[in-house]
Amino acid sequence: MLLPALLLVLGGAGCSSTKVNTLEPAQPAAQRNMISDKRVLMDQSLSKSVSVIGVNTAQGSEGFLKIQVEVQNLTRKRRFFSYRVEWFDENGMLIELPTNVSHPRSIESKAIAVITATAPTPRARDFRIQFIEPTK
Amino acid sequence: MKKFLFPLTLLPLLFTGCSSSKVSYVDPNSSRLIATTDSINIQDFAQAADAMTASLIDNLINQGRLKSSVEGEPALLAISRIVNNTGEQVDIDLLVKKIRVALLRTGKVQTSTTIAYGGPEDPLAKEQQDAREFLNGGKKPRLPDYTLSGKIIENRVKAGRVEQTSYIFQLSLSSRDGIAVWEDERTIVKQGKRPSVGF
Repeated sequence: MLLPALLLVLGGAGCSSTKVNTLEPAQPAAQRNMISDKRVLMDQSLSKSVSVIGVNTAQGSEGFLKIQVEVQNLTRKRRFFSYRVEWFDENGMLIELPTNVSHPRSIESKAIAVITATAPTPRARDFRIQFIEPTK
Repeated sequence: MKKFLFPLTLLPLLFTGCSSSKVSYVDPNSSRLIATTDSINIQDFAQAADAMTASLIDNLINQGRLKSSVEGEPALLAISRIVNNTGEQVDIDLLVKKIRVALLRTGKVQTSTTIAYGGPEDPLAKEQQDAREFLNGGKKPRLPDYTLSGKIIENRVKAGRVEQTSYIFQLSLSSRDGIAVWEDERTIVKQGKRPSVGF
């Protein structure tokens, strides 16, 4: 009698992760400019925690490139990660700035998170996003 | 007796070798920096500066709403008062300088080093400016097109052993008419557990 009760308590304590339900228009009105991307997946667990759905780009009237990356947590638990965006000019050279830092984020189970970044200069033509799991 | 003396002489050397602390250099832009709940860390300033700069570019610069009083030249920005409403002494330049560097790199904004809240940032540049003004027959130097002001606010809460500290960064960009043409607020929230023993 005691063992099933004990298992119930332990099971209840472990089931504290939250999943997310989403709702959006079936026919999106917005016109997205999705681009094809190249992915290098070295961390398989991270690729499930932060699964990239797609990359959307736009350019403003003054020529600054803006990107939007949608990621989804395919696991059953909330996950933490950091991301860092690097920008490259027309010659493929890295544009270095003191604001090029890692941004910590968390994402609930099955939730979709949006990561946006704006190019620091109109000279930026390419970008690269690095995802990393927090070190323990 | 002599047999015991030799190992004993080596014993202090052993402890000396074990007590050396290892220091390693860390990339200041990496995710491996130490994060604490009792102070604003350098990565917090960098993240806030990055978010604010992106907001400025998205909502003002990239929409062509940033105007310069001198055609063909970048808009001129002056740094006004940025209030520190946190419980620690911080140098606001940890935030502002990053924003200034990023805005300068856009090619659309330059910052005045002679006109600023609290006095000129560069006294020598100010003296040169005054000298040129005198030699040019009193022609006044260019006034800033915009001023940047703001506030950093701290909020702390505790729930059991969990501490949560929030730093709210608020910035405004005002035109010469005293109208805020851009404003934004970013919050950085950090949570941590206090140790069960001690403070």
